[in-house]
Amino acid sequence: MGDLVEPLVHGLTLGSLYAMVATGLALMFGVVRLINFAHGEFYMLGGYAFWYAYGELGLPYPVAALVATAAMGAFGLVYERSVIRTILPRTWHVQLIATLATSITLTNLAILVFGTQPKEVPTTLSSAILEVGGVRMAWQRLVVLVAAVVIFAGLEWFVTRAKLGKAMRAMSQNREACAVVGVDVQRVALATFGLSAALAGGAAALVSPLFNIFPDVGALLTLKAFAAVIVGGLGFVKGAIAAAFLIGVAESLAAGYLSYAYKDAIAFVVMVAVLLVRPQGLFGRRIGI
Amino acid sequence: MRALRWSFGGVFLVAVPWIVAAVAPGQQRYILHVLIFTALYGALALSYDLVVGHVGSLSLAHPAFFGIGAYTAALLGTEARWPFAAALPAGIAAAGLMALAVGVPMFRLTEHSFAMGTLGFALVTQIVATNWVEFTRGPLCVTGIPKPELGPLRIVTLPAFYWMGLTAVGLVGLLYHGLTTARLGRAFHAVRDNEMLASAASIHPLKYRMLAFVIGGAVAGGVGTLFASYVGVLCPTELAVSLSVNLLVMLFLGGVGSLRGVVVGAVAFTALPEILRMAPTWRMVIYGLLLLLIVIRAPDGLEGVIRRRSAAWRQPSGG
Repeated sequence: MGDLVEPLVHGLTLGSLYAMVATGLALMFGVVRLINFAHGEFYMLGGYAFWYAYGELGLPYPVAALVATAAMGAFGLVYERSVIRTILPRTWHVQLIATLATSITLTNLAILVFGTQPKEVPTTLSSAILEVGGVRMAWQRLVVLVAAVVIFAGLEWFVTRAKLGKAMRAMSQNREACAVVGVDVQRVALATFGLSAALAGGAAALVSPLFNIFPDVGALLTLKAFAAVIVGGLGFVKGAIAAAFLIGVAESLAAGYLSYAYKDAIAFVVMVAVLLVRPQGLFGRRIGI
Repeated sequence: MRALRWSFGGVFLVAVPWIVAAVAPGQQRYILHVLIFTALYGALALSYDLVVGHVGSLSLAHPAFFGIGAYTAALLGTEARWPFAAALPAGIAAAGLMALAVGVPMFRLTEHSFAMGTLGFALVTQIVATNWVEFTRGPLCVTGIPKPELGPLRIVTLPAFYWMGLTAVGLVGLLYHGLTTARLGRAFHAVRDNEMLASAASIHPLKYRMLAFVIGGAVAGGVGTLFASYVGVLCPTELAVSLSVNLLVMLFLGGVGSLRGVVVGAVAFTALPEILRMAPTWRMVIYGLLLLLIVIRAPDGLEGVIRRRSAAWRQPSGG
């Protein structure tokens, strides 16, 4: 029993991470039609922000997690104002290469500043083991799962009820019409980047006690999150979340039963398989948050 | 006049090893090494530009094709003792076939998704090269790759490798020129500039994209083969995604979609780090920032600067 449940719990933890990163990608794509190749690097920077706040400054875990989330939110705002705003009117080639260039720059700056040695940030919750009916897992995994449920419920409320969230959904449907009826499209785009980056930072604060933080974690993570976005149907946030959990569980089961070395290839295999059968993604809606 | 200039240029390029020997005898090995890398990078960048610059598909799979060609030829040369004359076509064919197989699902994707999908393929190829230790020797690298030998012609010395690189970049340049001008080139550009209009004019976008992708991949495999035989060692790190970034910097620095631009970009790119002697990490930071700056400020690269200058020179009145 535990043999199957444990990889499942691990897979759901991974899925929570992928889902938070994928949500950011899907939100940005929905609102401004841009794929941010540097999104995995936001997670990486969030991890270092958390390491600094928790490991170096010694703040209590919830405070350190909020600090990392807020720091990345601010970073997202700066990124939108400096890089994104200049490339938004340009072709998708320019946008893609500019975000890719940002990703390379951030990764290598992180290597220069923090070194290639992975940082470990164990907390009391990540070393305490919870045992239920023969299934053993770290308490931190439970924290991640509960936090993921809370965050996604909050996000659902935000995009359906809050004014700003509604504006994001409207922009994902028709940017011109939004501008015509007086939605401040630049402010909404700015908020979207802040929110997406904060989600990546929050994900980093949640899972960093379980996984190591290292400078080039971003490239693979961006890829997996994007695979989830494509599998779920480009720009459809709920589809991306579901696909992210699917990929997380598939990866965890593959690592346990097939081959640990090749686990990173799973997301890609799932993506290609889905594309061959359903090019529009599993949930088949074209666009919309 | 034009033919004269070309033949002068050609003679000069062929004579470079002697010129270097005469001018800087102490530095000969080092300068030739840099020039060989420049030539191989130039050939690789040209093959990449077929895909990026001419049919407008932003593929990030090029390091994978480079690596597949290199590994095929290297393993055939070391394990199966194939002669170079057979291993080179095998490397080209393996990379081309892989491009064909990967292209089928990938071209279902458009724009960003295509870029991300091909990036995924490149990452998976590197994962396989690192982890399939029994076959590729993983991080221990394939060593003792034999030097190229074509009948009586043995390429061992640095000048010989320089001429090999020069021949390679020349042949790829000719292929590039042949493919991107005339009827085929116009079809490529039609697909790149307006897909819907192209298909309305019965130019099947997928067919031409696939053609450029497969030829680009096959050429990359060939360059990989030459690279492996020159260096003699092949490691999974050669397949890193950063190779795509290097190629993009070359293309955008020089000028996307232009033979002269790409060659200028490759020369500037390989000469630059030799001038800016610094740690590889700093180099990547600078490349990243440089790429960001070029793509925002001067998307047509050095080629655009050259073209504007020469246009201004031809019309001194300024119009």
